[in-house]
Amino acid sequence: MSTDRDAERIVRSWLREDRHEDADRVLDTVLADLDTTPQRRAWWLARRFPAMNNAMRIGLAAAAVVVVVFLGYQFLSGPNVGGPSPVETPTPSPVPTATPEATPAAYVYPDAGPLAIGRHQLTVEGVPLSFSVATSDWSIDEYGYISKDTEVAADQAEFLFWSLANIYSDPCAHTPLSPPVGPSTADLAAALWTAFGTEATEPTDVTVGGRAAKHVVLTVPEDIGCDRTSFYLWYNACGGVLPEAGCYRYATELGDTIRAWIVDVDGARLFIEADARKAAGPEVEQEIQQIIDSIVFE
Amino acid sequence: MDTRLVIRAQGGDQEAFAELAATIADRFLATSHRILSDIDLAEDATQQALLSIWQDLPKLRDPARFEAWSYRLLVRACYAEGRKSRRWAPNIRLLKVDEPMAADGFSSVVDRDQLERGFRRLSLNHRTVVVLHHYLDLPLDRVADTLGIPVGTVASRLHYAMRAMRAALDADAGTAPREAAQ
Repeated sequence: MSTDRDAERIVRSWLREDRHEDADRVLDTVLADLDTTPQRRAWWLARRFPAMNNAMRIGLAAAAVVVVVFLGYQFLSGPNVGGPSPVETPTPSPVPTATPEATPAAYVYPDAGPLAIGRHQLTVEGVPLSFSVATSDWSIDEYGYISKDTEVAADQAEFLFWSLANIYSDPCAHTPLSPPVGPSTADLAAALWTAFGTEATEPTDVTVGGRAAKHVVLTVPEDIGCDRTSFYLWYNACGGVLPEAGCYRYATELGDTIRAWIVDVDGARLFIEADARKAAGPEVEQEIQQIIDSIVFE
Repeated sequence: MDTRLVIRAQGGDQEAFAELAATIADRFLATSHRILSDIDLAEDATQQALLSIWQDLPKLRDPARFEAWSYRLLVRACYAEGRKSRRWAPNIRLLKVDEPMAADGFSSVVDRDQLERGFRRLSLNHRTVVVLHHYLDLPLDRVADTLGIPVGTVASRLHYAMRAMRAALDADAGTAPREAAQ
């Protein structure tokens, strides 16, 4: 390889090779789904004046001015300014009715895309919180999966804010722990510590955002006895766009270090995990800790 | 792109949408295949993108901008598929090297597997910029428009991506003779 131009030529040539894609099957599936897939109506009106001449536009504008003046007059003269007091008519007392309380969304994430340096807010399991990132290479997807994308694979890392329903007693066989993990932070920390299939440090007491928390560091072994994506760690509901669906977390990479913080936020058990590669430099760990230290519960 | 077709589809005309989708589906699949390096994920992303286009077409303010807008939805679908494949077990798919090896002399210079591996090592963000620019031939400002990011960010991502690909190719050039001798 001699120049950037050579690399560009080779990559272009490789990308343009015929890979025999045929979208017919996909197209058939999509068209078959149209009847059951309603279009989303826009809240705005399209502004199109295809057959309108200038005289018509001026006329319409003049009419609009008249309407605005009329409505303004009605508004100003409406509440009897300077006139006699209106006769009060008795109105029936409002009958107290049970109004449904607005249920806060369980998961609210920032818009998918890069996270700007600074503070970001999100809601996890109904718990509102914020955190800050200090570098520009973090992004979030619509599932709330926060990832650090760098060209150095060893320095890529991921964050998840969620809660856990249970873990697996055998990650490869996908056998849930039975009986399931208890409700306290200590229960979950102990379960992670003793979980079959991973190596973990003994839980320690820490604080996150001023709340009591348990901290466990797990290592995904490199010899797990099954495929990485078949190695189930834990599960709960998905956040983001699929709040009703279950999400099963599997190992991102073998040898990963998973730092877990289990926080009690007014009775809600929040699970925060950060994944880093085996060969990650110390600055990655520092960056993860910086994010944890920046957490504020609203 | 025929904007009359877009406008008809915006109004809920399924036949118009079918015609519209047929003109872009192959291109979408090819693009997503290159971004995701996996044909199964690419099919899912293409399907999701086409359905999103149908759903959100009424919200497209300027039908003349259909192409850039539709590619934005495709890229979003690719990101969703790419992320899911790394994380959620219900979406497990192993990335696989299944591309046919064409005998065109190209492989004597660089190994396609090495290219493939080098490309997969790039982040989704970097791969997307490379594909939009070097495969779809979109100029940098249109890539930026499609992705909703500044042109400078596009240029930066492209620079890093191509530098990484060059490194992969250089590594290949260095190892090829040894591999050939084994």
